Amino acid sequence: MSKHRVSRRQFLNYTLTGVGGFMAAGMLMPMVRFAVDPVLKASASGDFIPTPQKISEITEEPTRVDFSFEQKDAWYTSEVTNTAWVYKDENGEIVALSPVCKHLGCVVDWNTDKANQNRFYCPCHGGLYEKDGTNVPGTPPIAKLDVYPTQEKDGFLLLGKAKPREEA
Amino acid sequence: MKWVSQDMDMFLGAKEYVDTAVLPLFPVSFGNDIKQSVAMTEFIQLLTIPLERQFKGRMIMLPGHSYLKNKSKEKLLEEVIVWEKELFDNGFKHVFFVTSDSMWKSIEGELKGGLIWLPSIPLAAMDEGARNNILEDQVKQLLQLFMQKWQEDV
Ligand code: FES
Repeated sequence: MSKHRVSRRQFLNYTLTGVGGFMAAGMLMPMVRFAVDPVLKASASGDFIPTPQKISEITEEPTRVDFSFEQKDAWYTSEVTNTAWVYKDENGEIVALSPVCKHLGCVVDWNTDKANQNRFYCPCHGGLYEKDGTNVPGTPPIAKLDVYPTQEKDGFLLLGKAKPREEA
Repeated sequence: MKWVSQDMDMFLGAKEYVDTAVLPLFPVSFGNDIKQSVAMTEFIQLLTIPLERQFKGRMIMLPGHSYLKNKSKEKLLEEVIVWEKELFDNGFKHVFFVTSDSMWKSIEGELKGGLIWLPSIPLAAMDEGARNNILEDQVKQLLQLFMQKWQEDV
């Protein structure tokens, strides 16, 4: 009888320690991550990323340029491919627009909606933007498409981090 | 939107715009077809990433439904019907299942949601260039399919 009781208590003890250990580990791991994460993050921003697009081949027609880089998403790194719509404006300046719709973040396409030639079109809720990225009133988006800062190196286009535009 | 906290805030704030739910179906087997079931799961997982990115504001990409291949068709169908009922009851207008497992093709008619079946391609055997080209191609087709289905139901 008494032997039984001890073993039950022991059993409880073991279980509780076990659960406690688990909980401690569960609490500790995120804390370590929070502590380490900002350090990891700092290195990934502010750089210009090379693209395969030759500056000399950029025309007045927006063209899709894909470029890949390593991104730190929370605490893991992955290879991401981003896209820009790139063209030269009437002054010959290079414009690189982010394809991410300012409504809810779908990817917009150039000139794909037959009823809206020469505009960016968002397939999700019919958002529209003019060639310069200005949102067309009456469609869901409420801001212009973000722009990438651009740079040139050895004849190729480099892109920075896309930024929202200041409202005029 | 993905099934992550950050995207959920967006979802809760813009529910009326998110009319589509996608549930990937992943077969799991430890039998002779173990490698095949892995390839199918892997392939669909790869494709759902760009799919979600493209249509972020309109669809919610659910964590996939994994099931054991050795279960009976009827059982598997039953489970998936519970899923689609839950999704339709929660206001989604479009429910899609994406899978490489051809078993679902044979019972497609029993589903109310749309079935998108893509044969898995043996990506592991290819070099990176070929793999990316094929994936890009598949993604394009997949995007087309979604846009088509949305248009049909307007
Ligand atoms: S996400 Fe582009 S219009 Fe809604």
